[in-house]
This record gives sequence, structure tokens and C-alpha cells, in this order.
Amino acid sequence: MRRNGPIIVGLISGLVVIVANFFVGTVMQTLRNEVTQWQLIAGAFAVLVGSINLCRIHMTKISRKKEDRFFSWVLLVGFFGFLLFGLPKGSSSHPQFQWVFKTSLEPMSATMFALLVFYIASAAYRAFRVKTPEATVLLLAAVILMLGKVSVGRMISEWIPQASSWLLDYPNTAGMRGITIGAALGAVATAFRVLIGIERGHLGGIG
Amino acid sequence: MFQSGLTATWWLQLIYCTAIVIMINRAKGGQKVPEIYKVAGLDALDEAIGRATEMGKPIHYSPGIGGLDNPQTMASFAALGYAAKMCARYDTTLIVSNRISVVYPITEEIVRQAYIQEGKLESLNLDNVRFFSEDQFAYASACVGVMNRERPAANLLIGGFWAESLILAEVGAQIGAIQIAGTANTHQIPFFVAACDYCLIGEEIYAAGAYLSKDPILVGNLIAQDWGKMLCTALIVVGSLISTFQSGPNWLNTLLRK
Repeated sequence: MRRNGPIIVGLISGLVVIVANFFVGTVMQTLRNEVTQWQLIAGAFAVLVGSINLCRIHMTKISRKKEDRFFSWVLLVGFFGFLLFGLPKGSSSHPQFQWVFKTSLEPMSATMFALLVFYIASAAYRAFRVKTPEATVLLLAAVILMLGKVSVGRMISEWIPQASSWLLDYPNTAGMRGITIGAALGAVATAFRVLIGIERGHLGGIG
Repeated sequence: MFQSGLTATWWLQLIYCTAIVIMINRAKGGQKVPEIYKVAGLDALDEAIGRATEMGKPIHYSPGIGGLDNPQTMASFAALGYAAKMCARYDTTLIVSNRISVVYPITEEIVRQAYIQEGKLESLNLDNVRFFSEDQFAYASACVGVMNRERPAANLLIGGFWAESLILAEVGAQIGAIQIAGTANTHQIPFFVAACDYCLIGEEIYAAGAYLSKDPILVGNLIAQDWGKMLCTALIVVGSLISTFQSGPNWLNTLLRK
């Protein structure tokens, strides 16, 4: 039962959600809402487990005086700081809590996101080095696309923006749609395997 | 009774799932299942783990930033299970970085099961299976920190990735790790292709379980996927021909939209 219980629960919950998605009917919608509520409750417990583990690992690092324990301090101060500041406010949408969030976490996230521009530049440099015929095609396509998206491209030739649009609309879209169709079929097959209990990775099994 | 616009989808899904059941039963019945083509990225897993073992360095694994409602995360578990088994066998450190708290206990259990199966439970260090943050860029930042501090020899990124994909892959490239990445998110595949040594494109990540385990039931499942692709291709070709040669509304389009 310990092995089959989660699979049976998964099968029933999954079928309810799938059937409710395709068929109209108040019973199915009510059942789906119920399953979704249970999912939220189970998820909340998992957040608790994750948080406890996070604190445990970093407290261990501090107590064992490991090399990078300064970062563990930063994490724990941030974690408990937000918790203690937020709990008395009663809601994460409280203006004071939002102010702290917007002046600390949001700028840091934005900074990480902004770093992408440098990573894109270095990845592009590596990808566009002409070493193979495929890399040459990639470089040519990229040059045409980049020129087609800026005004200087039209100044060089009217043909460049047209070629840029053609590359995006035909070879690129065809390739992307092919990958999307394959991935969608793979996703459905994986979901189905999970539902009928063949794929058990999510239960801690292997394969 | 049917939700508007989903009738055809329901029947197509039903046909597809029936095909999967047929192939699974054929495989269970001992009938011959066709061989699947080579996937370089999955073959390279052994190479990556071997390299890390020889260098005495850890392996970094990220199952992506998707939750359990994302099939890519499910597919990633198969690759993680295989990597964990190999790491247990060769006493190589495996660092697993989790973004989703619900995924974290599962990856921990997968790694634990792998060590149990290899009879190496005493070598297991669960501190290496880590939960960082549910915030996307805080997670990316933590992974970057791990890679820079612990210098893994191999960086495995398999699952659902979004804007953080290039950050993780580029840092992996900068520290000289052999990189195998895979995602079904089409907008992130070019980044992985540019920055990684091997890339699993789209559906290839869903084939990981079957490919690595060689389980005939899972391989049979892949054949059903190929049948699905053939059906989609046939619908595209027929739809294109009808649109080209028939004036007026395309009946196939109307049928599929019902």
C-alpha cells in the first residue's frame, strides 16, 4: 500500500483534473476545485519542509565554522528578518512589507537578470565563431537578423529586413513548431506514464 | 457536454494514450520493441560523470525551476536517478540544486534510493541535495555561487528552464565544466546550444528515462510517441494540401477546432 497508495491518489486526482478540463459539469468542477485545494495544502507542507532544511543546512555551516559561513549568516538574517517583519503585518501585500520587498529583493533580482546581457554577449561570441559549416550558417543568419532589426540594415539594403523577416517566419517557425509538437507529445506521454504509475521518479523511485 | 473547442483534442488524446497502452502491453508480452536512435546528450552522461570522477571534482545537477506540475521536471528525475546511481558507484560527489520546495524532498529521495541500490548508503551526504530559494534569480545566484566555489567538473541542467538558463550555462562554461543541458522550452534551447557541450532538444528529455534504463516498457512508450508525431505530420500535410487546393473554409481545421 505504501508503494501503490500514492499512485492511486495520483491516478484519481489526475483523472479528475483531466476530465474536468474537457467536460462541462458542476460535479467535475467542484471535484477539481477540491483536488486543487488539497494540492495547495500539500504544497504548503513542502514549503515548510524546504524552509526547515534550508535553515538546518546553514545553521550547521555556521556551527561548524565552515569557510563561507558569512553567506549562511546573510541567508538566515534575511530569512528570519522577512519572517519576523512580515508576520505581524498579516499579509504580504501590506505597504510596509511591500516597501522592504521592493527595496531589497526586487533590485537584487533585477541585477541578476541584468547580468544576462553579458552572458548573452559571451555565449554569442562562442557560438558565432566560424569553426564548422553549421556555425557559419548560424553566424550568417544572426548577422542578417540583427541587421534586419536595426535601421542601419534598411540603409544597407531593402533586402535585409525582408530576409530577416523570412528567416523568422519560415525556417525558424517551422523548426520551433517541430520541437514544440515533439515536446508536447513527450509531455503528454510522460504525464500519462505518471498517471498509470509506470514513471515513478516523483515517488523517489529511479527510472 | 464537451468544453467548447476541446472535442477533437479529447479524442486525439484518447487515441494517443491508447497507442501508448498498446505499446506497453506489447513490451510486457515480450514482443520485440524497435531500437531507439542514439541521443548524444544522454550518451555523454557517462562521459561527464567519468570526467568528474577522474578529476576528483563534484557534479552539479539542476532539475530546472519547474514544479511537479511540469512534465519536464518529471523527465528530469529519470536523468537525476541515473546520474545519482553512477555517482554512488564511483564515489563522486553529486550536488543537486533545487528551486521548488516540493521538488526538493523528491530529489533527496531519488538520490537516497540511488545510493541504497548501489549499496553505498554510508557515502551519502544529503547536505549536497540543497534547496535554495523559490525566487528565480535568487536560485540562479545560489547556483552560480555553488559552481564558482565548488568548481564542479560536470554541470547537468535537465528540466524546465526559463531566463536563468543562460546564467547557469555560461557560468558552467566559464569554470570549464563539461555541460549537458536539456529543456523543452523552445525559447531557452538556443542558449543551451550556444553555451553547452551537449544539448537535449525538446522531446529528448522525455526519452531520458527510457533511454538510460533500457526498460522495454518505457522504450515501447517512445514508439507510441513516434506514432503521435507521424499522426501530427499527416494532419499538417493534409491540412496544408486542403488549404492550398480547396477554396473556402478548411474542413479539417473546422473539425479540429470543434
